[in-house]
Amino acid sequence: MDLLGKFNLSATILLTGFAIVFSVLLFLIFIIWGYGKIVSTAQTKYSERKRKKELEKIRSDNPEIPDAVVMSAVSESKAEPVTEGIPDEVIAVISAAVYSMYGSKEKVRIRSVKRSRKRSAWANAGILDNTRPF
Amino acid sequence: MEILNGFWDALVGIYKGSGLMNLDWRNYLMIAIACVLFFLAIKKQFEPLLLLPIAFGMLLVNLFPAIVAGPTTDMIPVKPDELDHYANYAKTVIGDQIYVSKPTSGGLFFYLYQGVKLGIYPPLIFLGVGAMTDFGPLIANPKSFILGAAAQIGIFVTFIGAVFLGFTGQEAGAIGIIGGADGPTAIFVTTKLAPHLLGSIAIAAYSYMALVPIIQPPIMRALTTKKERAVVMEQLRPVSKLEKIIFPVLIVVVISILLPDAAPLVGMLMFGNLLKESGVCDRLSKTAQNELMNIITIFLGTTVGATATGENFLSFSTLKIIALGLIAFMMGTAFGVLFGKVMYKFTGGKVNPLIGSAGVSAVPMAARVSQKVGQEENPGNFLLMHAMGPNVAGVIGSAVAAGVLLSVLK
Repeated sequence: MDLLGKFNLSATILLTGFAIVFSVLLFLIFIIWGYGKIVSTAQTKYSERKRKKELEKIRSDNPEIPDAVVMSAVSESKAEPVTEGIPDEVIAVISAAVYSMYGSKEKVRIRSVKRSRKRSAWANAGILDNTRPF
Repeated sequence: MEILNGFWDALVGIYKGSGLMNLDWRNYLMIAIACVLFFLAIKKQFEPLLLLPIAFGMLLVNLFPAIVAGPTTDMIPVKPDELDHYANYAKTVIGDQIYVSKPTSGGLFFYLYQGVKLGIYPPLIFLGVGAMTDFGPLIANPKSFILGAAAQIGIFVTFIGAVFLGFTGQEAGAIGIIGGADGPTAIFVTTKLAPHLLGSIAIAAYSYMALVPIIQPPIMRALTTKKERAVVMEQLRPVSKLEKIIFPVLIVVVISILLPDAAPLVGMLMFGNLLKESGVCDRLSKTAQNELMNIITIFLGTTVGATATGENFLSFSTLKIIALGLIAFMMGTAFGVLFGKVMYKFTGGKVNPLIGSAGVSAVPMAARVSQKVGQEENPGNFLLMHAMGPNVAGVIGSAVAAGVLLSVLK
């Protein structure tokens, strides 16, 4: 291949590669951003509808309870952290760690604390080891 | 006396067939290189899961080259009264002599190598990688794709260097892909474009991936300021299970339609991920992550190592490939960081440029390096999850870059 041929081939590959890789990945950004919005909006609407249904059910079952109490009962039940029998001390330590990361400026609420899947330290080490080369 | 003659002839036959007669100095040098790789894999723990099988394949092939030999057909002269024994073989008559064509089987690695040659193993490795990868950080912050794309620029810039150093277009494409820092992708592209360079390219690619913690930090520090490195990024939004399930399907549809040559790699990567995220194929997901992945790793490593015969490997081209591979890797890192800096400027300082270097794939090592270098400036800074976004975007990006090279150069 002569010098001009080399130059032409290099320029073609550089331009094609640059253009296609960026355009495909930019297109993916747009798609993921779009479907992320759609899915999160749909899920928010679904949970909102579910909450309303719950509210109406409580209202119809107990008409004597004032609206404010019903509302607070539903919102409290949403805010109740799921802790799966984890000791309060552990929850406090996790909360402190989260607080130390975010500081007081961020509005952070711990919604649930769950035990991790039962995988031994050796299994975790094995997975870590397996993922390393790739 | 006849017995002694027979004994002597047998000894001479064994000696002539032994390595002492058939190996030349290049084989012995390759055996020494294999021993160095053993040392690096076992003592230094450089990518041992792949370097050890590669080194052993290299050792075996240089001790017994016939282990990679393909099947042949022997022409055996036979007497007319022996023809009944060879009823199923093709016969040829030359003059008065009858010959039968007796097929012999190839060496063990010849058959195992078909998985590399036919492009079967790299997509299967990607299946396991997909089953182990959490794309959550990328879904939460899709802008990471820009960094995954930026880190691939090194591939194309190195291509230019390789062309001007005298490699053909196809060879240059295979060498450039080292910059993607993705072993299976490098092997996949090389088997299609320049199979004769497979040994050198695979060894260079895996060696540089093992050296990520040494190669990347100086480049990252040189291209960023102290202030940029200390940026604490905002917490990523939580990603729902539905989003994680839709992601692999969507990616495979888009990539396969736009770039069919990348479909085997991206398709298997996303299939593995769907097995994991669906939550209903736990057994298949575990098999892809563990048993299948380990089996393929053994086959891939040993057979790729077996391509590094003295004749193939010991050439000036190998040195050039190793140098160009390093350049590709460094360029990928540098472009990732530079695009990280662009994002830092555009977001008003919300993006830490260090996560850009993770765009070179090498999952999860490159993300760990971003975390480590970030913590050197600010011990309370946790960049790992933010760096995982560009890191897994880099896997997709290098598969897309591979698709581009294959479609243009094949």
